[in-house]
Amino acid sequence: MWLLIFSENYGYKKIRIMGPLIPQGLIIGQWDFVIALLIGMAFGFILEASGFSSSRNIAGVFYGYNFVVLRVFFMALVVAMIGLLYFDYFGWINMDLVYVLPTFLPSMILGGVIMGFGFIIGGFCPGTSFTAAAIGKLDGFVFIGGVFIGIFLFGEGFPLFEEFYTAGALGNITIGEVIGMSNQMVTLGVTIVALVAFWGTWLIEKRVRKNIKLFKF
Amino acid sequence: MNRNYIYLTFLILILAAGVFFLPERNNEKHLNPEQLMYEIARPTRFITTDQIAQMIIEKDPTLELIDVRSEDQYAEFTLQRAVNIPLDSLVAESYQDYLGIEDMNAVFFSNDDIKADQAWVIARRMGYNSIYVMKGGLNCWINTIINPTKPVETASSEEFEQYNLRRGASMYFTGAEISADEGSKSSLKVTRKKKKAVAEGGC
Repeated sequence: MWLLIFSENYGYKKIRIMGPLIPQGLIIGQWDFVIALLIGMAFGFILEASGFSSSRNIAGVFYGYNFVVLRVFFMALVVAMIGLLYFDYFGWINMDLVYVLPTFLPSMILGGVIMGFGFIIGGFCPGTSFTAAAIGKLDGFVFIGGVFIGIFLFGEGFPLFEEFYTAGALGNITIGEVIGMSNQMVTLGVTIVALVAFWGTWLIEKRVRKNIKLFKF
Repeated sequence: MNRNYIYLTFLILILAAGVFFLPERNNEKHLNPEQLMYEIARPTRFITTDQIAQMIIEKDPTLELIDVRSEDQYAEFTLQRAVNIPLDSLVAESYQDYLGIEDMNAVFFSNDDIKADQAWVIARRMGYNSIYVMKGGLNCWINTIINPTKPVETASSEEFEQYNLRRGASMYFTGAEISADEGSKSSLKVTRKKKKAVAEGGC
């Protein structure tokens, strides 16, 4: 992508820009909240449109009658993985500058387990509870209340968990780096697993549910 | 079964297999010449000696002063808390830890600002951000901070303000006792740099 800039000494000048835009200072930090708001609205819309504001759909993954959550998130993952590699090829993004969240193995495993229990018991994940509240579901509001109580308790009790929270730091690693595979291999592998999961869960759903209707697009 | 799902499955498979045929892209970590030229033309890399004095007095934790003169000159006189990276060893591996520290503003200085400016261009070309040059160098530091000259009687009140500020800084750095004029409105303001929040994702 090219951008026209103006400098007093040299007049107009065409420079090449590539993402990510915020870490390079091409979008200043003050825009963070505006961008977060826009992405949040899009995210909420997709969650609601995918039926994630219904706790039946979400808990259905555990009981084996509805795998829409798995399919939507796997699809998002695959699209993002493949898309980033093509963006890198087109020169639209500099993969060296993309922020990789640091990995803390024990706390992430425990967090995943707690989140999983929350999914089954509460019927929402934090994001979907807000979409449920947005369409006026009472259980969504109760869930949000629980989220804030949890955040408060965790924040106040953080010194107690701090050691565990930061234990097993592996740094900003990716799956490819850990198992020594190229990004392309990982992407293809995840894509195949996702496609098998799409078709496999569809077959399970067809067997479990009698009145199943396929989404037409 | 809806045909579209079968098409979609194949499309994703083809795209995923396609990534193997993309040539490896070498992202340029260095600054390209056009961008460097644009940045050299901008005066934003310069920091005045007044600003540096203020930052030292306020013990600004983000300030990292880098003396690019030779080791002998560094041993003779330098600024408080300054580290020495001689210009000819700026690219040496052992000095790289001093540059590019997150949330630190590295300020180069030398006797005047020519060597420091050269150091800035080299460091910028190496891809470091948040680097600056002390305008005028140590000569300007002596003239403005250590031995400030009194402005003429007809000078504007801003100039007197600045003079008083510099005398205060001079007292701080040299320990000289100079009585401040009464009615001086200048005061050092403490401004804390806001901590940058790292964007993190979540469900």
